Amino acid sequence: MLTHKLLRRLLYRNLSAAQLAGFVLSNLTGLAIVILGIQFFMDGRPIWADDDSFIRKDYLVVNKRISAANTLGACTVFTPAQIEELESEPWVRRVGRFTSADYRVYASVNASGRSMSTYMFLESIPTSFIDVAGSDWTFSASDKSVPIIISKDYLSLYNFGFASTVGMPALSESAIKSIPLTLSIRPDNGRPPLDMPAYIVGFSNRLNTILVPEEFMAWSNARYGSGSTPPPSRLIVDVNSPGDVRIKEYMEANDLEIAGDKSGSQASFLVNVIAGVALAVGALITCLSFFILLLSISLLMQKNRQKIHSLIMLGVELGSISGVYIRLVAGVNILAYILAVIAMLAMRMQYLPSLRGMGGGASTVWPSLLSGLMLMIVLIIFNVIAVNKKVRKAFLNS
Amino acid sequence: MDTIVLDHVLPRVFEGDSMGDSDVWRTRLTFSRGRNYVVEAPSGTGKSSLCAYIYGNRRDYLGSICFDGTDVSTLCPSRWQELRRTQLAYLPQELDLFPELTAMQNICLKNDLTGHMTHDAIRSMMRELGIADRADFPVGKMSIGQQQRVAIIRAICQPFSFLLIDEPVSHLDAANNRLAAAMIEQEAARQGAAVIATSVGNRIGISTDVELHL
Repeated sequence: MLTHKLLRRLLYRNLSAAQLAGFVLSNLTGLAIVILGIQFFMDGRPIWADDDSFIRKDYLVVNKRISAANTLGACTVFTPAQIEELESEPWVRRVGRFTSADYRVYASVNASGRSMSTYMFLESIPTSFIDVAGSDWTFSASDKSVPIIISKDYLSLYNFGFASTVGMPALSESAIKSIPLTLSIRPDNGRPPLDMPAYIVGFSNRLNTILVPEEFMAWSNARYGSGSTPPPSRLIVDVNSPGDVRIKEYMEANDLEIAGDKSGSQASFLVNVIAGVALAVGALITCLSFFILLLSISLLMQKNRQKIHSLIMLGVELGSISGVYIRLVAGVNILAYILAVIAMLAMRMQYLPSLRGMGGGASTVWPSLLSGLMLMIVLIIFNVIAVNKKVRKAFLNS
Repeated sequence: MDTIVLDHVLPRVFEGDSMGDSDVWRTRLTFSRGRNYVVEAPSGTGKSSLCAYIYGNRRDYLGSICFDGTDVSTLCPSRWQELRRTQLAYLPQELDLFPELTAMQNICLKNDLTGHMTHDAIRSMMRELGIADRADFPVGKMSIGQQQRVAIIRAICQPFSFLLIDEPVSHLDAANNRLAAAMIEQEAARQGAAVIATSVGNRIGISTDVELHL
């Protein structure tokens, strides 16, 4: 016990409190930025991950440009070779095909004895591309009730364009969902017509069409279609980064058009970039603080070179000498980590109310705390290696 | 550890020199446990180097040194430190004391590595050498003669088979030389150890079995 006390007294001589404080401050800053960045990302995940929020995932709906040439009969559909080529582009994660109904179909509404009906078109895409597909987004031939998703734009057009000018009541989403519809299929292949109950289950921000489940489309096209599956005229593309210039170049080169607006995707891209920059800056500061500590300890050991030499000459274990410095390194790192955690929790209290207002919320703190802990342990390990190396060198030069 | 063998050892700085008729350099020399050796030589002939080579803190020599047949160049740092705690005791010429620690702390720092002596025994040795009243005094504020006595006590506060003392009484008067010599001989005899002492003239008053000239 006495030996340890004396060792500390000898080896901590020339210790610069200012240097250590500088390290704690810089490491605290770096670690706090890293763990706060991770925590903020975790807490805001419902906002970034929610497809229907202002930050949408990166989907593009692509179709061929309509020009005078293809109005007169040129091809507006995608061939399998063209789809394959698109899929092989590096910025593409996956491609979904729009399948159209291969028969005529009407939709009618019966409300208080009055009936309205209209020609319709139906499309389907793989469920994973749909932003509002819930548990009721299924179809089975036995129960014959068809869920439909329409574009939110249609509802807006009705409410703010049509209803307000002709004196009709504006309709809420839930009101429309409760209206029973009838889909009337009028096949051209000689089969008898079919009426089916249908209901609207959702409004999509992403997809500007009238959607039915893929199961229904496959079933109905097989039964009432002409027998040949029509090639898709629109594709939905999941891309890595919507800001990628290669996308624009590809679209222009192949005479394609992107439907809709990508501002949501750009916001998502921006959040990713900002989060990445913040984490990189935090990691950089932590890294620099590691060098501050390494230099401080090296300087301290250099100043105490004679004492280290004398202790080695006495037969003191090299581990006991390096242990004194390792405990110092571990102590200041743990102090910096604890302060960083406190700083992170304090700042989190500040931003959580605003984040909650935007749809985020308190997520678990373990991932950020563990990341900070791992970073701290890595720093300690590097310092331990450096200290051990220096003491060994002192032995060889003693 | 029973023997230390120097096989044609020569400091590298003397490479090419004739070295005349040295009893130590460029010859085969065996130090055996239980005997007292005095290495007598003028300054600059390598007395301190000899101690440092045996103690393992310098390696700038030709030839080889073996402890009980093991070439010391094969020893790892932890083995060296173990030998320094249990087999080799060393009083360097420059003393290597910690000036900011008291005399007692300097001695205990070494003693407590092995718990070789009780603190009472240490105080009694300090009394014998006339520095008991300086026990709790920082070494840096003591005279060189007093520091040398602290260093002598520190050197023998451990188990050892060989005690290397490099000009141990250079700053002591005849009376203190006798007291120190008696204490060293007594502890070496108690442990059945060998003493290898160097001298430039003011020789420690221990009985000498072998006298060597560099």
